[in-house]
Amino acid sequence: MPDTPGPNGRGSSPAGAQVSLRWRSSRHARRLLTLGLFALLVAALAGRPEFAGLAAPALLLLAAGRVQRRPPQITVVAELSSRRAFEGERVALGMTAAGQGDGQVRWTWHPGDEIAPVGVAAADGDQVRFVLTPERWGRRQTGTVEVVVRDRWRLTEGHATVVLPRLDCYPAPAQQRERVVLRRLPNRLGEHPARSSGEGIEFFGVREYVPGDRQRSINWPASTRRGRLQVNTFAAERSQDVVLMVDATSDVGTPGTSALDFALRGAAAAARAYLDARDRVGVITYQWGGARWLAPGLGRRQVYKIIDSMLASTGLVNTGAWARGSSLSRLPRAALPPGALVVVFSPLLDHRFVETLRDMRERGLAMLVVDVLNTEPPVRRHTADRLARRVWQMEQEAIRFSLRELGVPVVHWDGEQPLDLPLAAYTRRPLGAHR
Amino acid sequence: MGAAATRVAAIWVTTRLAAVLLGAACVIWAAVPLPAHGPAGLALALASLGVAAGALRLALSAVPVPEDSYLLPTPLRLWLSFLNTLRLLPWEEGAVIGVVWLEVLHPARPWHTAVLGAALVAYLLAAHLAESSAGPGVLRPQARVLAAGVVLLALCAGAGMLPAASPGAGSALLRLLAAVALIAAGALVLPYVARS
Repeated sequence: MPDTPGPNGRGSSPAGAQVSLRWRSSRHARRLLTLGLFALLVAALAGRPEFAGLAAPALLLLAAGRVQRRPPQITVVAELSSRRAFEGERVALGMTAAGQGDGQVRWTWHPGDEIAPVGVAAADGDQVRFVLTPERWGRRQTGTVEVVVRDRWRLTEGHATVVLPRLDCYPAPAQQRERVVLRRLPNRLGEHPARSSGEGIEFFGVREYVPGDRQRSINWPASTRRGRLQVNTFAAERSQDVVLMVDATSDVGTPGTSALDFALRGAAAAARAYLDARDRVGVITYQWGGARWLAPGLGRRQVYKIIDSMLASTGLVNTGAWARGSSLSRLPRAALPPGALVVVFSPLLDHRFVETLRDMRERGLAMLVVDVLNTEPPVRRHTADRLARRVWQMEQEAIRFSLRELGVPVVHWDGEQPLDLPLAAYTRRPLGAHR
Repeated sequence: MGAAATRVAAIWVTTRLAAVLLGAACVIWAAVPLPAHGPAGLALALASLGVAAGALRLALSAVPVPEDSYLLPTPLRLWLSFLNTLRLLPWEEGAVIGVVWLEVLHPARPWHTAVLGAALVAYLLAAHLAESSAGPGVLRPQARVLAAGVVLLALCAGAGMLPAASPGAGSALLRLLAAVALIAAGALVLPYVARS
């Protein structure tokens, strides 16, 4: 069946589109015609008028139905309740038809890839509503809807196919509440207590009173003990630059629970967590032949920019800047600010990526690697296969060991539990940049 | 919401049941007594197969078919082929042809044929309602035309019951032509009646 252009290809715009109908006889009409013609044939061959009577109701219905009005076009509006959704989120799809006169409309929805219907996928009426849920991140076509307009007598049917608007599906962020904080924070106001005194709320120390100090900050017990006025000092509160680095070179595992799925979900969770703490967060998506990056920024909208930038690595959306070459040394300073915390989500399968991590570490960046590899080569009976599997496992252990030796913490995340659990050892105390 | 769902389910069941019962009634009505001569067995088999397969198609109409049919296990592929065959072939047409064929194998019995005609039309309407999951209310606009068709059916049956003016094929042909002319006249006039 040829596809007609989408009613509103840009997404959920409620503007309708004219859809041409291809009219043809209905199954019901064909059956009536069979009865009428065969009965007439029998009547003629057998010379029995009662068989002509057998044909009468069917032929009369067909003849009377000839004069029904059949619109050549109808207006169809397809509207998504949201053009962006997270995995597993429910989105409503409203379909409205106009201009069909007294014809009855039947809608049959054929969902696109990784789009699951919630409830019915076929309905009657001028206005219907389907509910869908995207199962996996990416730019998804929500599918097509087959529209059948039946005339009042149901003898003819007008068919058309409407291509539905697309839906940008974001990876469902994992759960992360705690944050890894650097030992040395840039001199910028934020929410993380720094290792210097300032205007925060966390107690830092006691020093001697100097003119100009607030009277309310005088520590009276300490002043009594020392015989001179002492004042409390508080830790300064600073923000940090966080660069999330997603390794998109290898996507191993079952779709939906693959390494790339977990990397994107983990990065989305980290972006949310750090942006909630007023940190500046950026992203670098590393892939074959280059990296796509988004400079650190603030605010709620940055979460969506970051996810868009990550999805761009799969060619799904066109956002962020692109740096050619496998080395990250070509990235501008804005993409990887000095002193930034780099949180890497990777299965650590690509040797060039691992080399890049070592290179970054040697340049003095504070890094933390979240290992999202949760699959292994299949277990086979042959000795050579078992040996190869063992070699592969040892190689993986060696990669992780070498990174730890360089002072890069590597934590494993299974993609199911909250990210706070594997990161617990590093969220309790500040992370140092140097060995 | 619950009442609407119950109503939809009731329509789903009753229309299918009506189609099956009417189809079976038509076959029995046309077959009994089964003529000993001619291909009565073949006609009966055709009519029975058409009604049974049509009923099965209606019963399995809600069974979903996977969009992606690659690399499916053989039993599932066979099941899908069966469903596809069931959905594509015109079973009801076959049933109609078989039933009319069975009826013509009998000696002339006009009133019996007239009842069969009404039952056949009812069967086709019930099958249509069942496959489109619509209630009987959608047939309301056609009620007048259906009534006219039944009147014509009765007139034709009456014509069949009239004794021939003279023996031979000529008078039978004349009666047939009169019936066909009646139907043609009705078919020409009714569209305008139906439109008004």
